[in-house]
This record gives sequence, C-alpha cells and structure tokens, in this order.
Amino acid sequence: MFHTEEESIVTMINHIAQNNVSAGSDSDVADIVENHIIKFWSRRMKKILAEQLASGTEEFEPAAKLAAERLSAKVSA
Amino acid sequence: MLQHFDPNKDYGTPASLSEKMVTLEIDGVEITVPEGTSVMRAAALHDINIPKLCASDNLEAFGSCRICAVQIEGRRGTPASCTTPVDAGMKVTTQNDKLAKLRRNIMELYISDHPLDCLTCPANGDCELQDMAGAVGLREVRYGFDGNNHLDAPKDQSNPYFTFDASKCIVCSRCVRACEEVQGTFALTIDGRGFDSKVAAGQDEDFLDSECVSCGACVQACPTATLMENSVIDMGTPEHSVTTTCAYCGVGCSFKAEMKGDQLVRMVPAKEGDANHGHSCVKGRFAFGYATHKDRIKAPMIRDSIDQPWKEVSWEEAIGFAAKRLKDIQAQYGRESIGGITSSRCTNEETYLVQKLIRAAFGNNNTDTCARVCHSPTGYGLKQTLGESAGTQTFDSVMFSDCILVIGANPTDAHPVFGSLMRRRLREGASLIVADPREIDLLSTPHLGNSTHLPLRPGTNVAMINALAHVVITEGYEDKEFIAARCEQGAYAKWREFIIEERHAPENVEEITGVKAEKVRDAARKFATAKNASIYYGLGVTEHSQGSTMVMGIANLALATGNMGREGVGVNPLRGQNNVQGSCDMGSFPHELPGYQHVSDAVARARFEKVWGVTLDDEPGLRIPNMFDAALSGEFRAMYVQGEDIAQSDPNTQHVEAALSALDCLIVQDIFLNETAKFAHVLLPGSTFLEKNGTFTNAERRINRVRKVMPPVAGKEDWEVTVELSNALGYPMNYSHPSEIMDEIAQLTPSFANVSYDMLEKHGSLQWPCNDEFPMGSPIMHTESFPIGDEGKALFAVTEFVPTTERANGRFPLLLTTGRILSQYNVGAQTRRTDNQAWHDEDILDIHPHDAEERGIKTGDWLGITSRAGQTVLRARVAERMQPGVVYTTFHHPGSGANVITTNNSDWATNCPEYKVTAVQVEKVSQPSEWQKNFQDNHERQYEFLRSAASSADAVK
Repeated sequence: MFHTEEESIVTMINHIAQNNVSAGSDSDVADIVENHIIKFWSRRMKKILAEQLASGTEEFEPAAKLAAERLSAKVSA
Repeated sequence: MLQHFDPNKDYGTPASLSEKMVTLEIDGVEITVPEGTSVMRAAALHDINIPKLCASDNLEAFGSCRICAVQIEGRRGTPASCTTPVDAGMKVTTQNDKLAKLRRNIMELYISDHPLDCLTCPANGDCELQDMAGAVGLREVRYGFDGNNHLDAPKDQSNPYFTFDASKCIVCSRCVRACEEVQGTFALTIDGRGFDSKVAAGQDEDFLDSECVSCGACVQACPTATLMENSVIDMGTPEHSVTTTCAYCGVGCSFKAEMKGDQLVRMVPAKEGDANHGHSCVKGRFAFGYATHKDRIKAPMIRDSIDQPWKEVSWEEAIGFAAKRLKDIQAQYGRESIGGITSSRCTNEETYLVQKLIRAAFGNNNTDTCARVCHSPTGYGLKQTLGESAGTQTFDSVMFSDCILVIGANPTDAHPVFGSLMRRRLREGASLIVADPREIDLLSTPHLGNSTHLPLRPGTNVAMINALAHVVITEGYEDKEFIAARCEQGAYAKWREFIIEERHAPENVEEITGVKAEKVRDAARKFATAKNASIYYGLGVTEHSQGSTMVMGIANLALATGNMGREGVGVNPLRGQNNVQGSCDMGSFPHELPGYQHVSDAVARARFEKVWGVTLDDEPGLRIPNMFDAALSGEFRAMYVQGEDIAQSDPNTQHVEAALSALDCLIVQDIFLNETAKFAHVLLPGSTFLEKNGTFTNAERRINRVRKVMPPVAGKEDWEVTVELSNALGYPMNYSHPSEIMDEIAQLTPSFANVSYDMLEKHGSLQWPCNDEFPMGSPIMHTESFPIGDEGKALFAVTEFVPTTERANGRFPLLLTTGRILSQYNVGAQTRRTDNQAWHDEDILDIHPHDAEERGIKTGDWLGITSRAGQTVLRARVAERMQPGVVYTTFHHPGSGANVITTNNSDWATNCPEYKVTAVQVEKVSQPSEWQKNFQDNHERQYEFLRSAASSADAVK
C-alpha cells in the first residue's frame, strides 16, 4: 500500500515498468512506459510525475525514471 | 400457405437441428420438417394443435400424460405424438372419435383428483389443464371425489416468491424436468410411486430449505396453479405485457413485463430472447419489488452541506442549484476541477449523454465508470491483443464447446442463466477446467464429461496461464496453421521465446500457484487437444494488480491453440453489471471517446467536435481513483454521479469517504439514498429500467431494447435529467426520445453505424460491430481478421508474472478474496430491497476448517478482520470449499464494510482495484468495528435528514 498521491504515482510508474520488463533493455522498457503514460495518464498525473522526478526522489526504478525523464524532456521542448 | 414461426407459441417439443428434411402427412396436410422433429411439433408448426399436458418445447419429450395420443397409419395403438419422431411418408390422424374418447377418459381421471375451484383459482384463465379439459370436451367426472385423493395436500409457502399447492398437482413432471434440463440444479424430484407419486423439493424439504435456487423455471413450466407466483395469487392475471431487458447481470435476459395497468404483476423470461431463450434467475424473474419500494427517492433534493437536512425542491430549482455550483466551482478552480461518473446500470443512451455532458459542457475528459473497478483490464488486454475491447462469442457458442475453461468466475451465481446453459453443455459431455481458489458450484454439476479444479492461490493467475501456455508450446500442441495465418509473426516469436523458458514449466510454478504440476499439464493438454475449447473469465481475473496481464495471457492461450473465430471457442469476459459493456462502448473512460476512439486521435476528435459543436480536450482525464486523490488535494471540487455507489463499491472505503467529504458539490442521481448520496449536496431521483426507454449491451455485445412499462416515480427518465443539467450549464442538448440519441451514437461510433431503433425493432437485438461491413451485426468476432495493425493479425503479448505486493505475512497471515452470491446483486441497493433477503441478509466470512480450528472459530462467531487498510467485523462460516489460508466474503451489505479492508493496490495498466487479494488476520471479537459504529450513526443521521425533507414538503403541501 502507498500513503500519499506522490508515492502512488511513483509506485504506479514502477509497476508499469515491472510488468513490461520483458521488453528488453531499460530503454526498450522505458519506450513502453512512456507510451502508456502518454495514452492513459491524465494531465495532472503527468504533472505530479514530473514534480517527483524534479524532487530527486530515489524511488524510481531505472526504466521508469528513464521514461519520466523522456516525458519531462518532451514537455520542456 | 406460408407458415411463420411464432416464438410465443409452445410447439410441444424442442426443434430438431437436423438439416435433412422429412415429408409426412398430418390430417391430410403434407408437411416437411427436419428429421428428428416430433409428430407433435410437426403438427404445431402447421397450426394443427394436438392437446398436451406434460409437453413443452423447452423440455425433452416425456410422454407421460398420454393426452397427445394420435393414430398413425400402419402402426398399432395410439402413440404419444410428443415422443414419436416423424418418418418419411408417415400418415398421422390427430382427431377422430377414438382419440377424442381416449383423451376425455384421461382428462376425466386427472380431474377426479383435482380441486374444482376454477373460479377462485389463481390460474383461472391461464391454466393449461383448464384449456385442455375444454379442448377434449370433458363434460362429466364419473368417478366422484369420495375416493382416495390429494385434495387436502398442504401448501408449501416457504418461498417468498411462489407457492407450491400440491392439491393441484397432476404429476406431469414438467417442473422436475425444467429444474433438470433448463436450470440444471436437480432440486426437484418425483417422490413415491403410483398414486403416492408427488413432487418433492430436495430431500422432501420445504422449497426454501432445499437446494432450489428459485429461478422460477418450475413455476413457468407448471401447467396448473400448483406452482404459482405469489404476485399473481395476490393481484390476479396480467392483462398486457411489454418486452424489455433485465437490469441485473451482464447476461441481459429479455423479459415480458406482464402488467395490470401500470402495475407490474410478474416478469416472464421471453422465449424469443436471444441471450436467455426463455430462462431466468431469481433476480431477474422475481426481484423487481425494489422499483416500488418505499425508499425510492421521489423528489429532487438539495442542501448546502452534508451535515444538513435535505430540502425537497422542484426539478427546476435542483437543476439550477447544481448548474450554478458547477459553474461557480469551475470559475474559481478551473475547467478540470469537476467531473463525473457514468453508470453501467443505466442505458447506452444515458451513459453516452453523461460522458458527452462532461466532455462538451464541463469541457474536460474527467469521465469514468464503474468498469474501472471491474473489467477495465478486459478493455485494455483484449484491445492490445485482439484489437477490440470485447468478448468474441455469443452465449450460445458454448453449446459447441468441447472443453470449457473457467477462470476467476462463478457463473452459476453471478451469471446464472448463462451458468445454466454451460451446465447443459457439460451434461452433453464437454469437459470442464476451473481455475479458482474456491471450489465453485459448477464443479459439482452432474455431467458426462470430466472436470478439473486448479485451486490456485489468489494472485497467481498469470503464473498459471503462463504454465498452461508453456505446456501447449513445449509439448507441441500449438495450432501452427492458425498462428501462421492469423497472428503477427514478430510478436509470436517474441512470446514463444518467453513462454518456453523453463521458469514457466508447471513444475517450477507449482511453488507459486500451489497446484500440482501434473494437474496443470493435464489441464493444458485437455484444453489444447479439444476440437473446440473456450475460455470464460470474470472478476477473479481482472481485479488483480496483474489483471491486464492476465487478460492478455488468456488471449495468448486462445490464439496459440487456434481457438478463435468460430463457434465453440473464443475469449469470453463475463461482465458484471447489465450494461458494463455498453458503458465502456459509449466512451465512459477518460481516454476514449465512444467506440474506443482515443481522445488524442485528431480525426476522430474532429468528427465529434463537428457534431457536438465544441472543441474537445486531447488529453486523458481523471480516472475514479485520481478523482479521489485530486479531491483530497483540493484540486477536484465537484462530481456528477449517475447510478453508481462508489462509497460502497470502491476499495479502501475510508479513503473514498474522505474524498467525497472534501467535495464542494456532489450531485448524485439515483433511485435510493445510497452510500454515495450520504455525501451529496444534490440528490436527483433516478428511474429504474422499468421506467425508461433505451438500450443495454450485454456481455456478448448484444444491443437490446429497454422499454418503459411504467412512468418514472419522479416524472423523468435519467437521460432527461442529464439533458436538463446540460442545458442549465449553457450547453444545449435537444432530444425528444432516446432513439435520437442512438442515431447520434451511430453517426459517431463506427461499430454502431447501422444500429437504430428501427433495426432493433426489426431484428430483436443486434451484436456490434453492426455497420456496412457487418450489416446484420457480428455474433462471432474475428472470423477472418482482427481489427488491429495494418494486416489485421492478432498480437501475442509477453506476460511477465509480477507478484502482488499485497502478501500474507506473520501479522496478516490469510488472504481475503471477495465475490458475489446468487441472490444479491453488486452493492445490493436493489436486491436488499426485495425478498431476496431471505437467502442472504448479511455478508459472511467463509474460512477453512483448519484456519478456523487454529483460531477457535465456529460458524456463527463474530470475527474481526484486519488488513493493512482497516478493520471490519463479520460473522464466520466454516466452509470446506475454501482452501487453507484463504478467506472469502461478499460485499452486498454496506454495513459489512467489506471494502474498508480492501487496499489501494491496483492493476498496473488500468488501476482496476485488487479486490481479490487482501492480506488479513481474523480473530474472535464481541462488538462491531469503529468504522461500523460510525457507519451506523451516519446512516441513521442521513436517513433522518431524508425523512425531515419529506415531512417538511408534506407540511408545505
């Protein structure tokens, strides 16, 4: 169980990455995670994700973090 | 003369499916019928109606009453026409003096032991015995009534819905045969011999105490008043009927609502109903009393805060109040600060309008539906693999299945009419595999085939489906031809490489699932080698943290074995509520417009924008759990909820209650003051399915008409209320009938393009896709290609097993799983307000004898059940059907607090809650939990607020 919304967002992106680990490298997994978030997550969830990434939390799994970074980069671009 | 088949007529015996035709002569008329047809049916098809008592065309011929005797040229005696099949060149006489005398004599014997109280009998005017006495010209009973008889036989009035009056029984066995052949329960029997023969329930028990499931098939089959609905006994026979669709489970049975004026006398399952073929369950047939229950909300109500009494107001004032609050909140907190939830109990048209209201009038995509908490993984998983978010078959398809795999479903309780059809196929010899932690009733069905139970641990579905697929591939059972022709090769190669890994071998998975490897191998072989193998699954698949993965795993197994695209095979999600399929089809999810068209699809969005006259958001909106989170953070301030009870049905009740309490404006439209409405500021009276026009779409994608049989108690159908709210918000909606809404749906939803009310009137029902490619609809999908990718080829998906984080440990050593029971429906708001309470008036915790003994627990003890999320208290039932380490309860009663203990864990792809796995500890206690005490206090306070509103309104009047 998670306790805060911020924790839950990080748990959720990690969960997506874990369930797609068979895609291959972290970069391959991150592709799937990124597409999933673009397709299914609301604007607000994406915003919290970006904030969590910016906060420097160490709770992200590598592929999840990579996906979050790519998403943030797209928003900034 | 051309003869048309009349589905309402009883042709005496079932139709023959033979394609070979036979010509014979009946009463000088040349008749051609399929080989295997009975003489009785052949005659009836040409309007030659032979008298009958023990025959009915939904039962196999029995030949006991002998009333249907005929003479056949060249044959001795007077054979029963029901048990005599037609022969080529046969010459049959159905009426002559000898037959007339024989029939009168038989009828005379029946009537000599039957009460002559026709004028006061509840079946007067609707009695086959009475009709046949007239038809055979019975004029006297020479034997008198002084001899031994059954006229004083006692009545059994134990069942709340029907009475068994043994004095009127003619022992025709129709009830017994209906229980066996139609329902498949075998609860009734003929006890005794000769004159002592009598119908008995169970071991000569009362109906209520027996294993009778009150489906009512016996009542419908009875040709006299022996088994009679209590509503008919009380009200008399109906005078007109309206055909409509049941609003309980996803089977979507067709019913004739039989009426006296605007009063509903009884619901009779429609023979012409394509989903149910004249059968029903206890809910659909009998549990309609909630529609006229005293608790119905009959007037709109408003209040400023949830700790205030309600105030009854006019529709205009309530709608104005709601619209102003929504506008003010958006003005202050932004466009995305409000949203809504569509209802899987409401019609397609109503659901479509609510999501349209949210997208067009609210200006955001914050729409979601209860499918979020049940079958959203089905939508995701099937779309990813097969290209369409729906089951592939008709219900009737199961009759062509040779091996039936049921995973995480309990059809005899949750989809009873389909459960009966499945049982019929099992009696014909199909084999059965059940993957479920519990030993479900289907496993104890008497049948000719063999059955296998894979009693896996909760949370290990994906490991199990991978093991089954591993055996299929490594032992060479895959359908190479199908895979080469119908599946995308790259995805298959990748999946194949994954699934043959030794870690998926049953021997290596045994430790995870708890099921012996050899049993898994046998099951896989049985499934893979069957000519037609089908998969049926329910919420035991979807309501897990790996729900979407499991749905894809199921699709993989069907594809790998080539069980797709024809009768008897396929992937079949058993949908929970009546219109879950429809609510998903109608664009209730925050990321999809109607017809599963993604909001980011500019072409699709442009079509909607043109018709709706607004610019639409291209980003997905909030899902239900996101709405709760956003409410608690203060960013989400108002919600319109039509016909859903999220406060009872969603997990982690305390979290939900806190979120609802944080809202500035909660608008609830419902037929009762449900748990969610206790947190509402605006309460708009809803209408039941009996009070509205529209359509429902069942689990087999069947679009079926809902027809109004009585006026709405508060004057408006649900769609009219949404229209008024939209207009008050300044977004005009102009519809005068739901058929116009369906026309708009057809215009914007490719899979509904050819659907209209005219088409539905003409064809009865239609299964989508129904468009120019499939003008008459699509009973079986994916027969030629899949609607996915450029080449229309199915996509295997790699299904990694990621165990749930919700695990048993020393503190929470048991796993709780939740489910449904036959007599109650979902949150119970409807069935708890009917006599179905006789079977299940409280939620119980089932526990294995070993776990019970360890804790000193006996059946009936009060148990405190504690999880990481909360605590509640339920009564215990020690049950062998549980496996050690697993406990089970239902969630039909709000005071049980079943969802107080379920957690926030959810499916990785869709956020469907993990209701099926909660680690708990149980212990004997002596008082309710704190939550239950608070619940009771709030319940009484909120009902007092409701009563005070009604009495204030009365005072004004």
